[in-house]
Amino acid sequence: MADTHVDPSASLVALRSLTRRFTSRASLFGRKRTLTAVSDVTLDIARGTVTGVVGESGCGKSTLARLVLRLLEVSSGSVLFEGKDLASLSGAAMRTLRRRMQMVFQDPYSSIDPRYSVRAALLEPLQVQGLRPPPAEERARVEQLMAMVGLNPSLVDSYPHQLSGGQKQRVGIARALALHPDLVVLDEPTASLDVSIQAQTIALLEQLRQDLGLTYLFISHDLSLVRYFCDRIVVMYLGRVVEILPTAHTPPRHPYTRALMDSSFEPDPQRRRVVTLMQGELPDAFELPAGCAYAARCPGATALCRQERPELSSDGAHALACHHPLM
Amino acid sequence: MAFLDVHDLSVGIGTLQPLDRISFALDKGQILGLVGESGSGKSLTAMGLMGLLPLIGGRVTGGSIRLDGSELTDLAEPAYRALRGRRMALISQNPMTSLDPMVRVGEQVDQVSRMHLGLSGAAARSRSIDLLTQLRIPEAATVHRQYPHQMSGGMKQRVVIAMALAGDPELIIADEPTTALDVTIQAQIIQILVDLVRSRGLALVLITHDMGVVAQACDRVVVLYAGRVAEANVVADIFARPAHPYTRSLIECIPRDGQAPGSLKGIPGIVPSVGNYAAGCRFHPRCALAQAVCQQQVPPLQTQGQGQVACHFSAAPSDG
Amino acid sequence: MTGRIRTSALWRALRTWRGALSLGCLMLVALVAVLAPWVAPYAYDIQNLSATNQAPSQAHWLGTDEFGRDVLSRIIHGARTSLSVAMAAIGVSVLMGMCLGAAAAYFGGALDRAISAVVDLTWSFPEVLIALIFVAILGPGLYSTMIAISIAYLAQFSRLTRAQILAIKGETYVEAATSLGGGHLHIVFRHLLPNALTPVIVAGMLATGDAIILEATLGFFGLGVQPPKPSWGAMMASGTAQIFLAPWTIIGPGAAIALAVLSINQFGDALIEALDIRSRLRET
Repeated sequence: MADTHVDPSASLVALRSLTRRFTSRASLFGRKRTLTAVSDVTLDIARGTVTGVVGESGCGKSTLARLVLRLLEVSSGSVLFEGKDLASLSGAAMRTLRRRMQMVFQDPYSSIDPRYSVRAALLEPLQVQGLRPPPAEERARVEQLMAMVGLNPSLVDSYPHQLSGGQKQRVGIARALALHPDLVVLDEPTASLDVSIQAQTIALLEQLRQDLGLTYLFISHDLSLVRYFCDRIVVMYLGRVVEILPTAHTPPRHPYTRALMDSSFEPDPQRRRVVTLMQGELPDAFELPAGCAYAARCPGATALCRQERPELSSDGAHALACHHPLM
Repeated sequence: MAFLDVHDLSVGIGTLQPLDRISFALDKGQILGLVGESGSGKSLTAMGLMGLLPLIGGRVTGGSIRLDGSELTDLAEPAYRALRGRRMALISQNPMTSLDPMVRVGEQVDQVSRMHLGLSGAAARSRSIDLLTQLRIPEAATVHRQYPHQMSGGMKQRVVIAMALAGDPELIIADEPTTALDVTIQAQIIQILVDLVRSRGLALVLITHDMGVVAQACDRVVVLYAGRVAEANVVADIFARPAHPYTRSLIECIPRDGQAPGSLKGIPGIVPSVGNYAAGCRFHPRCALAQAVCQQQVPPLQTQGQGQVACHFSAAPSDG
Repeated sequence: MTGRIRTSALWRALRTWRGALSLGCLMLVALVAVLAPWVAPYAYDIQNLSATNQAPSQAHWLGTDEFGRDVLSRIIHGARTSLSVAMAAIGVSVLMGMCLGAAAAYFGGALDRAISAVVDLTWSFPEVLIALIFVAILGPGLYSTMIAISIAYLAQFSRLTRAQILAIKGETYVEAATSLGGGHLHIVFRHLLPNALTPVIVAGMLATGDAIILEATLGFFGLGVQPPKPSWGAMMASGTAQIFLAPWTIIGPGAAIALAVLSINQFGDALIEALDIRSRLRET
């Protein structure tokens, strides 16, 4: 999967050496600083699979999601959808292609225009794509979308402030599905919801995937959720892919993945984790150290780790970027 | 008599009753997990314990809070102020807003020692640096002079914990102390809190929505739903044999290692907000076991084994 | 959608004493202005040199001025001038300002810097000064007054719109609209402008009050609407000459200005409270 020789047109989405930088000037006379939010990410997403991207703040997963959908332009590298480079598409062609790739956003409270009723929000994708159904069929279409996500049809003229967080998120999901996409990018779709509603929403997403044959890119900071939901797990740290686990249950070999796993507590007091207290913190993303970005916090870091950044290499389907893997 | 004894605590805001007869007890050296989703009343409980309800227009409408034998609910503000920071401290959810952005963090910790322990400037300063080091902040002397914006979320929360400890309290209330933090930092902070309780013999009320954190850190658990106690028990029993349908479902909402895909269900319905509570048992609209009596009668909190449960149908404790 | 939220706010504003009274006053003034030729007892330019500077009487409720013209009628006709000039000028100003502010905020970069530089330049001058400059360039008169006032207030609406749109631009639902395939026009007209509209409209309303005063100021210096068309400002100017002889010639138009502006401001305030956008209006 990290192998650049894989034919990009065989996968639904192929990312090749994807990089995205942001520059900012620290102060009036300061020098320009560059933040590399996503660095050299190469990844293939096969049709019908659920790929999880997991990492903490600053790892670049949200930026990655936006690069895949071309909501952000790449600094270098390419995003290929069914073999076509997104950057090569004209505005109109891109707009049409957007029907096939949609996003469910993290915050249900701000992902729907507060002035739009449920009906208006669900019709917006159709309207914008010139696919608005004739008035006679409009109601049926909206109700069909609402039924698909389990929303009570009586809510059709409600406004976001009248809906709960879970209901708003269902509207967001229905809106994303209105155009019958192939790929749905889910950017922490349940992070802002109550636990009982999170589970509800995940169950819905699972059902929809089966019924509609969708391909998911699931972004989350919650490793236990990712391990439950995804076929494959991509672990990111400070903009780079550090490990790709071929199945949800493959034991991790990268120390950071191990730390992530150790940090997600099981709901079982018989299986308490041993948490080793670490000294370091995330380095300043603008001033990335030479060498492995995780070296500052890694208990097994050596001089080599601090000098030379490990490249991502794959051993079969398992990719890893570490000088001293755990196994 | 437990160190902290809350009995039938009720809180009102305006005409609403967001908390209805909450009871729990906690001893020194113990960690009590107060679990609930939004609208459950857990933050209100924290504010009630700290006597901060007037800040949000609330007041205690019934019940008692006893700290080491003395009643808190009828304390006047000056008396309560003497307790806050000195015998009981609050760690709140968002470290970004708990710290004054205009004051160096070290100074904010020093202030607590000076105010509550009467320490001089230099003594307070060295005590603060000591505390920061104990909380595993590297180069504490340098950090002491920094401003909040120069620090990460995890570091800020450690500073907040240092402020809470500076007055040498016996009770700490941590209201979702790690929700705003990264997962690996969260694990660190939870571990720090657990170590503090064990080493200093503190009493800790840990408020969270995360059953994983509860399983990891707590000795006793109180599950709140819509302003009432649904269930309370020792941590081993509440996970092994949850007696209340809500507790059972809440535990099942968290995916476990190796759980089969498609098996995560969630709880149907919406989490109710104050003012929209159902009659009788407030959970009954979402409960698979609900019957007519659930709507007619509020289930009383009954003792069962080492815990209590408020449900008409929890007579026989069931497994998992 | 936008309308729904604003009409309910309108009702809420009207339920207060302040809202109801001020709106009532405003409607009265507006009605009088519209129906001026029928409401005014006399035409505004009928001179009666034998009855100059007469005190208020049965025949002339507010007396006569130095040319024997009925002060009340001149005030009523003056309402027409003042209100129409102010409203037209502000209307144009709001439209132009919104376009500039929206373009600056939406496209950002060099365009934003260019527009903001020009707008901020006008912002740094007092409105009176800008108006005077344009009237000096264009010569006095009705249309130059309107243009001058338009440009004087442009900066305010441009900055307000820009601030509103910058705040909304980053909202998730805007990003969502892009991901659905929405183009620039869709986003600007369906998401950005509707959400930015409310504070701008209220600011426009308050600016109308200011514009009335500005028009009066220009008129006072003889730079506004030219005689014999009545203008409250010009009336006050000629009234100053005989302030001790015939104080009603200055009190009348002065009171009219005060009434109009006061009711606009009070209603604007009532609306702001009802819409609860005090904080948004401070963002310039």
